[in-house]
Amino acid sequence: MSLKNDIIDSVRRHAQAECDMPEISLEAVKYADPVSEFVEISRFVGGDAIILKDGENINTLIRTLYPEAVTVASNMPEISISTCNPDAADDPHNLNGIDLAIVKGEIGVAENGCVWIPQNVKLKALYFIAENLVIILDRNRIVNNMHEAYEYIAGTGYGFGVFISGPSKTADIEQALVIGAHGAKSVTVILS
Amino acid sequence: MSTKHAAAARQFILNREQEQWHNETLWMVRQKRDNMAMRIAEWEELRELAGKIKMHTISRLDHYLELFSSEAERNGATVHWAKDANEHNEIVYSILKEHRVKKLVKSKSMLTEECLLNPYLIEQGIEVVESDLGERILQLMGENPSHIVMPAIHRKREEVGKLFEEKMDSEKGNSDPTYLTRIARKYLRNEFLTADAAMTGANFGVAQTGEVVVCTNEGNADMGTSLCRLHIVSMGMEKLVPDLKSLGVFTRLLARSATGQPSTTYTSHYRRPGEGCEMHIVIVDNGRSEIRGNSEHVQTLKCIRCGACMNTCPVYRRSGGYSYTYFIPGPIGINLGMLKCPGKYSDNVSACSLCYSCNNVCPAKINLAEQIYGWRQGLDSIGKADRMKKLMSKGMKFLFSHPALYRNALKMSPAINLLPRFLVYSKLNAWGYGREMPRFAGESFTSMWIKGKVKKTNRK
Amino acid sequence: MYYICIKLLIMKIGLFIPCYVNAIYPDVGIATYKLLDYFGLDVDYPVDQTCCGQPMANAGFENKALSLAENFEKLFAQYDYIVAPSASCTAFVKYNFPAILKGEHLCRTGGKIYDACEFIHDIVKPEKLPGKFPHKVSVHNSCHGVRELHLSSASELNIPRYSKIKNLLSLIEGIEITEPAKVDECCGFGGMFAIEEPVVSVCMGEDKVKNHIAAGAEYISGADSSCLMHMQGIVARNKLPVKFIHAIQILASGL
Repeated sequence: MSLKNDIIDSVRRHAQAECDMPEISLEAVKYADPVSEFVEISRFVGGDAIILKDGENINTLIRTLYPEAVTVASNMPEISISTCNPDAADDPHNLNGIDLAIVKGEIGVAENGCVWIPQNVKLKALYFIAENLVIILDRNRIVNNMHEAYEYIAGTGYGFGVFISGPSKTADIEQALVIGAHGAKSVTVILS
Repeated sequence: MSTKHAAAARQFILNREQEQWHNETLWMVRQKRDNMAMRIAEWEELRELAGKIKMHTISRLDHYLELFSSEAERNGATVHWAKDANEHNEIVYSILKEHRVKKLVKSKSMLTEECLLNPYLIEQGIEVVESDLGERILQLMGENPSHIVMPAIHRKREEVGKLFEEKMDSEKGNSDPTYLTRIARKYLRNEFLTADAAMTGANFGVAQTGEVVVCTNEGNADMGTSLCRLHIVSMGMEKLVPDLKSLGVFTRLLARSATGQPSTTYTSHYRRPGEGCEMHIVIVDNGRSEIRGNSEHVQTLKCIRCGACMNTCPVYRRSGGYSYTYFIPGPIGINLGMLKCPGKYSDNVSACSLCYSCNNVCPAKINLAEQIYGWRQGLDSIGKADRMKKLMSKGMKFLFSHPALYRNALKMSPAINLLPRFLVYSKLNAWGYGREMPRFAGESFTSMWIKGKVKKTNRK
Repeated sequence: MYYICIKLLIMKIGLFIPCYVNAIYPDVGIATYKLLDYFGLDVDYPVDQTCCGQPMANAGFENKALSLAENFEKLFAQYDYIVAPSASCTAFVKYNFPAILKGEHLCRTGGKIYDACEFIHDIVKPEKLPGKFPHKVSVHNSCHGVRELHLSSASELNIPRYSKIKNLLSLIEGIEITEPAKVDECCGFGGMFAIEEPVVSVCMGEDKVKNHIAAGAEYISGADSSCLMHMQGIVARNKLPVKFIHAIQILASGL
C-alpha cells in the first residue's frame, strides 16, 4: 500500500507553477425582502415555508399541516405534539417509520431555500428517515446567499451539518421529477 | 474513415425518435441551467472565481493534501492513500473485511466507477447495493452510466417498469415514474436498514476543516451514512478546496450547472464520525498527480463533475453516452480519456465540432475545446490519425503552399460540377451522406480580381 | 459615397477571401469589396493568398498550417487592417496564428484581422445603408463568430444581450429579422468533423435548418459561408423551402 508520502511526493514531482488564491469579495445577490424570497424559493424546490403569525400556536399549525401523522418525533421542548423523543433511541434503525420529525434549523438561505442544520439531535438519521420533515427556523436568521451562510458556519463547530433545500427528489426516470426518493416526502419550514 | 465514436453515433441516430428525445431532454436541462445562471447577476464572476480557486488549490495540492489529512485525522477520521485503482479497491475491501461487512450500500460515485470497485468487491463476496435510483436501475440491468449526473438517461420508463416487475415485483405494465420511484423507495429502504457499511464519493474536501461534502437530491448518501456505523469516503485528490469560504463559491455553482436547481436537496458536511461510528477517507491519485504536471491539460483537474458540458454538447446529445469509449462521455470525458490512455481512447477525439459551448457552461472555466483541438494535433504522432484526413491535409497543404497552383485549381474546379452523380456521391464521399455538394462558381474571386472585374462591379 | 472618419480613409485594407469563398461563393467576396469601397476605404487584394490553414489544423495537422501562416503573414502584414468575410477563418488567424508561429517570429496579422461584419460594425460604424431587402431573414449565429469573435452574446453566458449582425442587418429597409430556437447551437459543420462524423454532422444540420425554417425564414444568413454551405447541402438534398445568403451580401444589396 502507498504511504501518504509516496502520494504527496508524486504530487510534488509533477510540479505546477503556483497560482494565487483569488480574493473572494464579490457583490453577491441580496434581496430587499429575504424572508419572502426564501418562502418563494422553498416552494420552487418542492417544499414550503410558512410564516408563523403573531399569537399563532406552532403545535396547532403543525397539526393542521400534518393531520395524519401518527408518530411525531421531536426533541424540542416547545413541541408538545411529539409522540416520541428521538434522542431516547440508541439505534438509528429504530427511527424507521416516523411519520413526522420536527427539528430546529439554524440559518436559512434566501437564494436557494437551504436551511443549515448542524446536528442537534442524537441520531442524524432522523433528518432523513422520517416520512415528513418540519424545520423550525427563526425568520431573522435568513441570510441572502451561501457566502453569508458559510461566513456564519465557519465560526461554529459541528461534527455533522447539512443544508436541506426542500424534500428528497429524483428525476432519474426520464427526467420526470418525483418528490420523495429516499428522504422526506415533504419539507415544511416554519418561520417563527 | 470512421472512428468508433462515429460508428456508434450512427447506430444511436438510427433510432431517430430516441435520439430526438435524448437530445431534447438534455437540452431542457441546459435551459434549466441557463435560467439559473441568468438569475444570478454575479454568475460569470463566480465561474471566474471557481476556476481560479481550483487552479490555486491544484498548484499547491501537496500543501492542501497535508492540511486536509491532518485535519481529518484530528477530527477522528482515518485517512488512506491510494496511488491507483487497485490500491483503492484493496483498501476499501480491507476496511470492509476488518469490520466483517456483508452488505455495502453505496451512493453515487464516479470515482468508484473509475476504479471498477463494484465488480472487485462482488468477487470478494461483498453484496454491493447502489442506492441512487438511476445507479440502482443500471446495476439491476447490468449497465454502466451513460451520463455522470443522469446515469440512466438512455433508458425509457417502460424499460424501468419492466425491470421493476421482474426485480421488485411491481405492477405489470405500470411505468409511471412516481409509482416506480415509490417502489424503489420501499425496496431500497430495506437495503439501507440491512446494510453494514455505507460508501460515498466526495463532491468537495475542505482542507482547512478536514471535512467532506457530499451533495445529493435523493438523500441516499445520508440514509446510508446515518444508519451504518461505518462510512467510507472515496475521494479524488483534486476534490479539495481551501476552506469553507471557497466552498461557498462551489455550492452555488454545482447544482445550478448540473441540473438547473438552485441547490441540491442535501448538501452534507461530514466532519467528525458520530459516536461509536467510524469514517474512513480514501484519497485517490490514479493518474491525477501526473496530470498536475501537464501544463496543457492540468485544467481538467478543475472539473467538479457537474455534467453541464455534456448537456450542452450538440454531439453528446445526439450520440449518447455509450458512443464514447471512455466511461466519462462528453467534452470532459474526451479529455480525461486521452489523459488516461491516448492509445486506447483516441476514438472520442472526433466527437467534437469545436463549437466551444462547453467552455462557456463549465462552472470552473475549463478550456475543454482548446484541449480537444490540442489532442487532435497529437494523434498523428501516436499513429492514431485518420489516414484519409492526413492525406487530405497533406494535399491541401501542397495546394495552398503554391499560389499559382491554387489559382489554377480554382480555374479548374467548376469542372467538378459536371461530374456524374454516382461518382460524386460514392461511399468515399462522406459529405454526400445527407448533403448535396456545393457547386463551384463559374469564375473564382481571384480570377475576377486579376481581370479587373471586381473593381468594375462598383463603377455604377 | 459614404462619409466616415478621415483616419480610416488613409488606412490600407487587405482583403482576405478564404479559399472556399473564393471558389464557391465569389459573390460574397465581391459584396465585401463593394461595401468597403462604398465606405471610401482603400482596399487591396494580394493575389497570392490561398488558405489560412484551419481545415488541416482542425483535423489535427496544425503543423501543416505553418507555411500557410508564413505566406499569409508575408502578404498581409503590410496592411493596417485585414478584412475577411468569414468569422471562422478570422478567428483562426487571430487566435491560432500566434501559437503556430511561435518559435518562428511574432505574429503580425492576428492583431489586425477582422471579420467583415465585425469590421463594419466596430470600425466603420455606419448609421445607414442604402438598399431594400424585403424578406424574412433568420440569423445564423455561427460558433466561432459567437464564441470566439463575440459577434453576439453567447447564450450560455450571463452578459448583456447584443448581436452585431442583427444591428447591421436592421440598417437595411424592409428586412424582417428572426432567429432560430437554440439560438447559437452548432449547425454541425465543424470542418473535418463534417466528414469524420457525417451522421452526427448531418443530424445537427437537419435540426438547425428545421429551427431556422420554424422561425419563418425565407433566407438563412450569417457571417460564415462554411456553415451556410453545410446547411445548403442539406436543404438541397431534402428540397426544403429556404434560401441562403451571406450577411454581407444583404448589406451590399443596395450598392
